[in-house]
Amino acid sequence: MSRLEERYRFILRLLPAAYRQQWEDDMVAAFLNSMDTGDPETTAYAADYGRPSISEVASIVSLAVRLRLGGADAPPRSYAWGQAVRLATLMAMLAHAVMVTTSIAVSLWLSGKIAWLPTPESEWANTSPSSIWHTAWNLAGYAWLPAYIALVLGHRRVAQAVALLAIVPPALTTAVEQATGDVPLSVSPWAMLLVDVALLLAMAAFHHGASPVPRRPWLLALPVGILLVPVPLFTIQATTPALRLLDWPGLSCAAVTAAMVIHLTVRVSRRRPRTLPWSLALTLLAVSTLALRTATLTDYGDQAQHTTLATIASVQAIAVLAVGVPLAVLAIRALRRLPPVPATQRPTTPTE
Amino acid sequence: MTEPAFFILTALLDAPRHGYGIVAEVAELSRGRVRLKIGSLYGALDRLVGEGLVELDREEAWQGRLRRYYRLTEQGLGALDAEAQRLAANARLASTRLRDRRNPITGVASL
Repeated sequence: MSRLEERYRFILRLLPAAYRQQWEDDMVAAFLNSMDTGDPETTAYAADYGRPSISEVASIVSLAVRLRLGGADAPPRSYAWGQAVRLATLMAMLAHAVMVTTSIAVSLWLSGKIAWLPTPESEWANTSPSSIWHTAWNLAGYAWLPAYIALVLGHRRVAQAVALLAIVPPALTTAVEQATGDVPLSVSPWAMLLVDVALLLAMAAFHHGASPVPRRPWLLALPVGILLVPVPLFTIQATTPALRLLDWPGLSCAAVTAAMVIHLTVRVSRRRPRTLPWSLALTLLAVSTLALRTATLTDYGDQAQHTTLATIASVQAIAVLAVGVPLAVLAIRALRRLPPVPATQRPTTPTE
Repeated sequence: MTEPAFFILTALLDAPRHGYGIVAEVAELSRGRVRLKIGSLYGALDRLVGEGLVELDREEAWQGRLRRYYRLTEQGLGALDAEAQRLAANARLASTRLRDRRNPITGVASL
């Protein structure tokens, strides 16, 4: 086996085993054939030192995403994972969209643009951003709202491009601020950035084979989400200063735990068979939230109230674990009951 | 029907072909416009075989490895014919309107 073949077969390992069993050798033959220039010397050199081009690798990655995160016509397990990733992505994007919509409203209120609301206390007004970096950060963050709407309306590439706008400026801001020593070095912004990048990549699950997102419920979820989470939260935080200790990872923990409890209640009470993608999606969110919470815990070390903050964070993590573990066990059991490959085998033998 | 699937079926019209043979034929048919990557080819081929539009013709040894040749089924021929007619009808529609736009008074082609 040439080095080139080894490299190509290594990339093909991204594809599901059942698919590889059927197509791998044929794909390798076709690929090596495509690298055959007709000149024995050049072909021998390519066999040793050549690498699959970026576009060839991209075509394999795209095929792997389509096969592993399948649409409605995919094998049951592939469909369950595909739907789970799509639901988790939508829920995470919805959370972003809800929070930025609220932050737009809060910014307007703080700057006195909403006349019918009472004037903010000076304590709140002081927290309004002043530096150019913070302004860039806030403006970039607003891109999550159009990104979410684009994704729901079926414009995946637009959603990814717009989400990139929300991700890159804060990353640059954080890098510059931490490098120049304007703010202390911390894990939190990078951990959150990593989750956002994962979100950006997960949008690949909305490929052509996936069924379109049901527009009405997901668009309606935006105002409902705003009324259910940030509005009461902001009101409570404005009146009870202690609750301001709830940061973004903490809020994510609370929201995911609440969603899992509601899901488990519905699942147990109705015994609906089509809840597996939701169980898997919430499990994925629970894992991400837990990772985010654990990573951001390290930043509490040098803060004044670090014992209180660490205790609150531990309680949040335990709550996610307490509900998330049983849900994950149920989801994995249900997933194992599904057949891994399609019931009908494709023809692979000559039919003559 | 996606564009790769359409070109793969068209490439198999005259003779059974192996994977790279399809890639080369599609590039030639489209005058280099459609250059199928191996991942895209086998993604489309897997679907076409699954839908019964393409089937395995034979396996031949090539440089110490087996190379599979694929051929169009009757169902594949029918699907390609239907798609070609649909595309031709669409193209006729656009051509007629383009001609009318070029010659708005008579509505008759000036070329």
